[in-house]
Amino acid sequence: MKRKGTRILAFLLVAMMVLTACGGGNNQKNNTPGDNSTAGNDSTPSDTTEPTAPSNGGEPIKDLVTWETAGNREMENFFMIGTEQAKDLNVLCNAISPLLEVDPHGVLQPAVATKWNTPDGGVTWDFVLRDDVTWVDVKGEYKADCTAQDWVTAMEWILNYHKNASQNTSMLCAMVVGAQDYYDYTKGLDEATALALTTENNPEFDKVGIKSADATHLTYTCAQPCPYFDTLCISAALYPVSQAEIDEKGVENMLGMTNETMWYSGPYTITEYIMNNTKTLTKNESYWDKDASLFDTVTITMIEDVNMDDTLYETEEVHNTELSEANSKIIMDNPSDPRNEYLTETRLKKYSYQYQLNFDRRNADGTPDTNWNTAVANENFRKSLYYGINLKTTWARTNRVHPVDLENLCFSMKGLLYFSDGRDYTDAVIEKLDEIKAYDGENSRRFNEKLALEYRDKAIEELTAQGVTFPIEVNAWIKAGSDYAGPTVLKENWEGTLGTDYIVYKINEYVTSPNSEVVDPHLQSYYGSGWGADYGDVENFLDQIVIGRDYAYYANKYTNINELPEGSETRKLFEEFTAKVDEAKAITDDLDARYEKFAEAEAFLLNHALSIPSTYENAWQLTHINDYSKMNALYGCQNYTYKNWETSTEAYTADDYAQFKADFEANQ
Amino acid sequence: MSKLNQDELFRVVEYSADAAERIGYSNYSYWRSVWQNFLKKKSAVFMALVFIVLVAFSFIALRIGNYPNYAELVSSPTETFLTPNSQYWFGTDNIGRDYWCQVWFSAQVSIKLALVVAIGEAIVGVIIGCLWGYVRWLDRPLTELYNIINNIPTVIYLTLVAMIVGQSFTIMAVSIIATHWLVMARNVRNLVLMYRDREYNLASRCLGTPVWRVLSKNIFPYLISVVILRLALSIPGTISLESTLSYLGLGLGFETPSLGLLLRNARNFFLVYPHLLVFPAVIVSLITVTFYLVGNAVSDAADPRNHV
Amino acid sequence: MFKYTVKRLLQSVLTVLIIVTIVFLCMRALPTDFFFTEDQMMKLDDQQKEDILAKAGLLDPIPTQLFRYYGQILSGDFGTSRRIQNGTSVLEIIGGKFTISMRLGLSSMAISLTLGILLGVLQARQKDRLMDHVGTVYTVFVNSVPPLVSYSLVLVFGSRVLGLPSLYSNKNIGMSSILPVVCLALTSIAHYALWTRRYMVDESTKDYIKLARIKGMSTQSIMVKHILKNAFVPLVQYIPASIILTFGGTLLVERFFSVPGMGTLMVDAIQRYDTEVVQTCVMIYAFLGIIGVFLGDLAMTLFDPRIKLAGGGETR
Repeated sequence: MKRKGTRILAFLLVAMMVLTACGGGNNQKNNTPGDNSTAGNDSTPSDTTEPTAPSNGGEPIKDLVTWETAGNREMENFFMIGTEQAKDLNVLCNAISPLLEVDPHGVLQPAVATKWNTPDGGVTWDFVLRDDVTWVDVKGEYKADCTAQDWVTAMEWILNYHKNASQNTSMLCAMVVGAQDYYDYTKGLDEATALALTTENNPEFDKVGIKSADATHLTYTCAQPCPYFDTLCISAALYPVSQAEIDEKGVENMLGMTNETMWYSGPYTITEYIMNNTKTLTKNESYWDKDASLFDTVTITMIEDVNMDDTLYETEEVHNTELSEANSKIIMDNPSDPRNEYLTETRLKKYSYQYQLNFDRRNADGTPDTNWNTAVANENFRKSLYYGINLKTTWARTNRVHPVDLENLCFSMKGLLYFSDGRDYTDAVIEKLDEIKAYDGENSRRFNEKLALEYRDKAIEELTAQGVTFPIEVNAWIKAGSDYAGPTVLKENWEGTLGTDYIVYKINEYVTSPNSEVVDPHLQSYYGSGWGADYGDVENFLDQIVIGRDYAYYANKYTNINELPEGSETRKLFEEFTAKVDEAKAITDDLDARYEKFAEAEAFLLNHALSIPSTYENAWQLTHINDYSKMNALYGCQNYTYKNWETSTEAYTADDYAQFKADFEANQ
Repeated sequence: MSKLNQDELFRVVEYSADAAERIGYSNYSYWRSVWQNFLKKKSAVFMALVFIVLVAFSFIALRIGNYPNYAELVSSPTETFLTPNSQYWFGTDNIGRDYWCQVWFSAQVSIKLALVVAIGEAIVGVIIGCLWGYVRWLDRPLTELYNIINNIPTVIYLTLVAMIVGQSFTIMAVSIIATHWLVMARNVRNLVLMYRDREYNLASRCLGTPVWRVLSKNIFPYLISVVILRLALSIPGTISLESTLSYLGLGLGFETPSLGLLLRNARNFFLVYPHLLVFPAVIVSLITVTFYLVGNAVSDAADPRNHV
Repeated sequence: MFKYTVKRLLQSVLTVLIIVTIVFLCMRALPTDFFFTEDQMMKLDDQQKEDILAKAGLLDPIPTQLFRYYGQILSGDFGTSRRIQNGTSVLEIIGGKFTISMRLGLSSMAISLTLGILLGVLQARQKDRLMDHVGTVYTVFVNSVPPLVSYSLVLVFGSRVLGLPSLYSNKNIGMSSILPVVCLALTSIAHYALWTRRYMVDESTKDYIKLARIKGMSTQSIMVKHILKNAFVPLVQYIPASIILTFGGTLLVERFFSVPGMGTLMVDAIQRYDTEVVQTCVMIYAFLGIIGVFLGDLAMTLFDPRIKLAGGGETR
């Protein structure tokens, strides 16, 4: 009996050894954040790039561990100019060096281009490039020099219909002279011919507005004045690719490159990529910017649900966490919780959210929803919504302490642009808005019960005369199976003040594709959407909702204003708005005047409640990273470049962050 | 024992037609016997009672709670994450909704789904299983069908269904039945194969009894215990499958929250607010344990070989 | 025997082909919107989208696509991924995940087989005594608590109390595999214990055991030489299938611990409309399943010489 027991036990031991042996082969040092200080000691300190010690008594972190959610941040491409997705670019921006970079304030800074200017008010743009930038492979071995020609090669690639699945083409086609023509020309070619094209001996491509006089001089020519063209430098459309790399891999294999095969010119190389698990970046020793402070390695852990980062932070497995609803409540409601001292707020994310009203809603059978369409064409009805939806409880779900800080009053994004005197563009818009209260930190600035009810009563009177029946059904859509807490709160926000005998907020579910199931058949009453800028100009926002233009995304997709009957009141409003936008776009020599005009147009849009701004995004966090030291532009793809980040092995406190914020604002 | 003579041992009885009729009569009734055997298993009886009380209580609970109807639930930003108290007996969730109402409503949904699936799979499984076992030429194609369906992982198949058709109570019930009948059918088929060629069945067939009658009268009674056991195991299986699907976002629709959905949501909060996890988890476990024990007991009781 | 094997393999190929065809058709039934990323949906006009679809061959009639796909498989080309990792060959993607799933799966199998059978044996020996009740409680508990809950508990206990890594990491495979392996083993231990006990108890009431006892054999050797050996036969049939199916990974555990295995790949691939990856995965799953059953049958004949394989052995 006893002997039998031990024999089974022995078998078990063998099994356990199988397990550990499997793992043993790769059992390297596990650099959890907790033991970073010791891990740092035995690595040789790198030469001049030693960052200054953090103010809070900790050491700078050498091996950063952070996280992303696996659901929406899993990489799909490694070819930078072949993708427009944040999930790819957030990592690839560390691998390739751009012409220009941004600083934490969003101001353009020299990178590969040391000098740049436009002699003629935005038509031609000259860049002078560094001569010491090199391409290396994943191991850091030299492959080639990175020259001005690489940007020309990239342009050809992006515009070549057969090489590129239309990634990054739209902005170039709209701005660069000859770009659209070249795109159409390659589309007409057969595949083999188009793939064989290069920038050499290519008369059609010579007509495109990009030239490199020599290795360090690059010139772009725009079709019309683009005073903001340089801001395009930080989007993927203006990143380089080396012809030598294309030759080495072969044209058809460029798309399939991996972190192992791609070429690098940026601050890091992607030394490890395991889907659904980790991405590891390692410092590129031949990076041109020797003064930059970089981490030795950056490990990005992929987590399944948004709550996991809290758990990992707790067990010191990551350096930052955005607190979930439950954790932030438990900390904030319990003053004796030591973590209170460390609670800090993230900076606003770059999306500006609005409710885009649908002016041509259809029923499921394709017939027009006359009730809603008549109502939404009535300005009083729109204004009753504009002033009557109180989103405070929705904001409070992500930001319990300062919910009203998430209130978005504008169509374009705060912090995108500044007047020459440093005033934020959106402040100029808000000044022009009707009935917006002063910020008091407690209440929504726009929500106004008295006003909303007045407009409601007017709307009821006018609409009843037009044969509208109440309550009016508001049809919102969510993905089947998604969390219903948000929509439930939203329903109460909409109905709360105006009453369910006026509007009824109905939550519908789509199965998989919002586009083909909801937007294409015009089933939504409104579409809540956020826009992040592609480049640094208001035009990029306002252009989305102008009438009668192909490029207006919101107008063509969500609001369907082009279906409004000729001569109708609402159509006239949109036409007037469009005219104002065009007027502003025509001003290219005086940026202040341009922005002022844009602000007028935007205020016009909002004062007629043609779109209802809703929210910004941010979160509460516990962190070892100073957010105010990160690159931060509201457009482009560089915000996740792990360069010049201030970090500390000691977690930052709320006081530290208050100081960072104050310093940051002082330097604005 | 004392010695008795024959006269004392036997006596002549008058002929009685009544008494003669009684020969061959026994007090045996199949279902009564099943019932008696079942009652002998005290633990199973107890669990069965618990389950019945649970189901009954889920209706009462909604009546006596703050909100008799799920649709009437409102959120309350000032009362989020309350722990159980006199007003909210199970506390509140992340947006301040009464958890009592949610738990009991979801319990009803989950139980309903599990029962619908169990009954559906029993009906489909038994019918197809009988045909599969009895009708020889059906064996090949059905075996092939079995291999095909059995080798596509359930989750993949349900993901595809959710993406193509959508997510709702009916869709989920139908699609789970559409895979789960297989196991039942296979069990039934094997039993049918065993009993098909017994002598009494051969005799029946020779006498020209129709197939359905042979199946329903001669073979089906042997299947009852196996069918019941499968049913009992299918109910917890469905509940756990449903909670896995909910975790993946492939659960039931918005208006029919299930226990699985509550568990999924609670996963984000349970470390700090364990009550959000405990209540639904306890109910799920209760249902599961009940069906394990009751199922085993009933299936033992239903097996005619165990009847004395 | 040889003829039988060949016949069954041929049948399997047919089954796999049918399965792949079904999945192929299902994928084509999804709206083509999935083909595009959200950004592309926003930025491309309808003409551009159509061009892209045409280029990928998705606008051809379904039969044409299907036969083209058959041709591809026959020539051993499983295609390249589109959304999981653009342009990389499907086999390359699957290869890495396969090893990881296999490693975790085999470890947990080894543990649960030993512990499960051990527990089952102890239960059977001490029938209706303490150990048996402990085992039963464990089995009932593991089976009744939803996996979401028990995994969460394991995760919290493991990471907070024992200080184990919460997530799978390539840098520290040994330690970071512990929690996922424990979760995997949790239910299968109960499973093996349950069946071992059941078969052993059934076996111990048989006449030949009584005879052995009468002969004066010790309980010890009856247990080992007769009961366990015979009880093992019905058990062994399912072991190869279980082992082989571990290569497929498990969705829930992988999601929980960020394990980059096969289980999550499959669902991700479906949700991103990565048709080639889905089809290849399904093919692999189907083959593994079929081979598992076949090996199970073989194993049974090895353990019990009385059993002979003949036609129609797939369904039992």
